[in-house]
Amino acid sequence: MHFSEDDLRAALKRKDPGEGFTQRVMARVEQAKAEGKIKPVNGKANRSLFAWWKLRPAWTFAVVALLLLGFAWGGYQYSEYRHQQIAKRERQQLEELKKQQEEAERARDQAILALQIARSKLNHVLEQAQMPADLDKIIRRQRL
Amino acid sequence: MNRVTPMLMRIFVGLALCFMAANGYAQQNAQPSARLQLENLDKLSEKASHFTEVTLDGPMLEMAAKFIAMDDDPSDADMIAIIKNLKGIYIKTFEFDASNQYSQADVEAIRKQLAVPGWSRIVTDIDKRTGEKNEIYLLKSGDRVDGVTILVAEARELTVVNIVGAVPIDKIAKLQGQFIHDGKHGHKNKMDSGKKDKESSDEKK
Repeated sequence: MHFSEDDLRAALKRKDPGEGFTQRVMARVEQAKAEGKIKPVNGKANRSLFAWWKLRPAWTFAVVALLLLGFAWGGYQYSEYRHQQIAKRERQQLEELKKQQEEAERARDQAILALQIARSKLNHVLEQAQMPADLDKIIRRQRL
Repeated sequence: MNRVTPMLMRIFVGLALCFMAANGYAQQNAQPSARLQLENLDKLSEKASHFTEVTLDGPMLEMAAKFIAMDDDPSDADMIAIIKNLKGIYIKTFEFDASNQYSQADVEAIRKQLAVPGWSRIVTDIDKRTGEKNEIYLLKSGDRVDGVTILVAEARELTVVNIVGAVPIDKIAKLQGQFIHDGKHGHKNKMDSGKKDKESSDEKK
């Protein structure tokens, strides 16, 4: 089937729909609506995932503000928790250090007391035995 | 069968001889422990009016030496030098209100431990009037002193000082007045009297 240029021009030429075209189209639309062939434009089915975007700006700001508040509160709580943890750890380290220091002090006192008794008893025995305090000589004599 | 039995007997006797020889050698060369067992004296603490016990092992002495060194006091240098070479100090002192509160068996149990080879008595002081017997024992390994025990057995006092390690005994005897730290270490003139030693220790107890 061949179409000439004139055929195409004639086919694509603007045609007047005639009077009452709008009324006819509207009447057809109303009829289709009545028959249920056309779905309502603002129906539930048209709600998409991004429907919230169409909320009023005030609601959007409220949601954003709530989210920001939530984040801020969460951050504050986390920071408080971290501070508490650090403080607890520091307290434990301090207690441990204190305990170690007390232990070291006790060890020092015991060592001093031990040397005091040792010295005192050693000199007492040497005095009683009327021996010179120069034990080096005695020990050396023992070695020979 | 007749051939195997004498061979087994020979092997058995040979092994027994080897074991005995090894045991004898080990006993000869075994160094007696410088630390004495003083647990048998624990029962005397109930009778004693003053009882002092000091038990310091190696790590405790190390800690004490480090803590004393932290003061940076040159007068503590001798004390630190003494403590550093020690492996342990074990002391038990009992002071009684009356005589004959401890038995000779209590003291003999200590002397028995000092009667093994290695230990030698360097000082003995006997007072027959009072029945007091004070002794100083040394544990030597060649030229090195590995331990010292001072045994003071008086009518109303029994003291055992057992020091383990390279003991500079002459330095200990010469530690005159070096412990007098007025308030520095929290004690006052501790070296002045033995009585104070006991009291301070009893307070700790």
